[in-house]
Amino acid sequence: MAEPSLITGYLAELSAQLPAPVVEELADGLDQTLRHYLGQGLDTTAAAEAAIAEFGQPKVILAAFTRASPARCAARRLLATGPIVAGCWAAELITGRAWRWPVPVEARILFGVTLITVTGLLAAAALGSHYRSVGRAGAAGCIGIVALDSAMLIAVPLAVPAVAWPLILAATASAVRIAITALTLRPVLTG
Amino acid sequence: MRAEELKGHLDALLLATLEDGPRHGYAVMEALRVTTGGRLDLPTGTIYPALRRLETAGLITGSWSVVGGRRRRSYRLTEAGARALSGKRADWRDFAAIMTAALEGRPWPSPA
Repeated sequence: MAEPSLITGYLAELSAQLPAPVVEELADGLDQTLRHYLGQGLDTTAAAEAAIAEFGQPKVILAAFTRASPARCAARRLLATGPIVAGCWAAELITGRAWRWPVPVEARILFGVTLITVTGLLAAAALGSHYRSVGRAGAAGCIGIVALDSAMLIAVPLAVPAVAWPLILAATASAVRIAITALTLRPVLTG
Repeated sequence: MRAEELKGHLDALLLATLEDGPRHGYAVMEALRVTTGGRLDLPTGTIYPALRRLETAGLITGSWSVVGGRRRRSYRLTEAGARALSGKRADWRDFAAIMTAALEGRPWPSPA
């Protein structure tokens, strides 16, 4: 059976944002809905219109996929738990008098700019309404968080004069966050 | 019943449709239509992201097959999904009993 042009256009609109396997699955469901209406005696155009009406307009489907996006969920989780990890590191930096550490100004600026960028990416993923943009921002934000945590885990023990409980606490928080983010990265990257 | 009234309950409904065995997206919607007498006003397409979300959470697992030259994805309940469904059923019974008692002005039965 040739696919009606209405259905082809509908699927093309979804394909512009959603991954190919997702569109394949939707196409199968829409095809069965179309066959249901054809079986009721509707002509091809009327059946295609009825199938699309039952399935939902593309913007409704895309909004539902964006809300359920693994990237959005990961970004929201990282934004919600971010202040806890940041608080742990703040305790270490303040008690260890980090402003006296021999860290080049360029490195401090680079870290600050990266932190702001990653936070912005996570916010874009958490609040965005475009499925593909949410996925890209979420994936970049997750990778950025892993990079920032790794940088802290490597750089601070080298710079700090003595290991104390704030460092152990902050390093544990970062290590846990790296592990959880790494576990969630696959669905975030595959969409 | 409108989609917004289903918020928080859709996961339980979807898990329940998979309790009897694997189903693909359209069959899940058909099962929901049958069990609810067609009273759910939910765009069919919106159950697919919900199924994907449940799969990411490990409550269901999906697999591909080819039917009539078209790839089809079917889902089945995992052990974690079966446990989640059981918990959601118990929560719903409690919630429904509390709401019924409150709305009909009956006292909540005290535990024996």
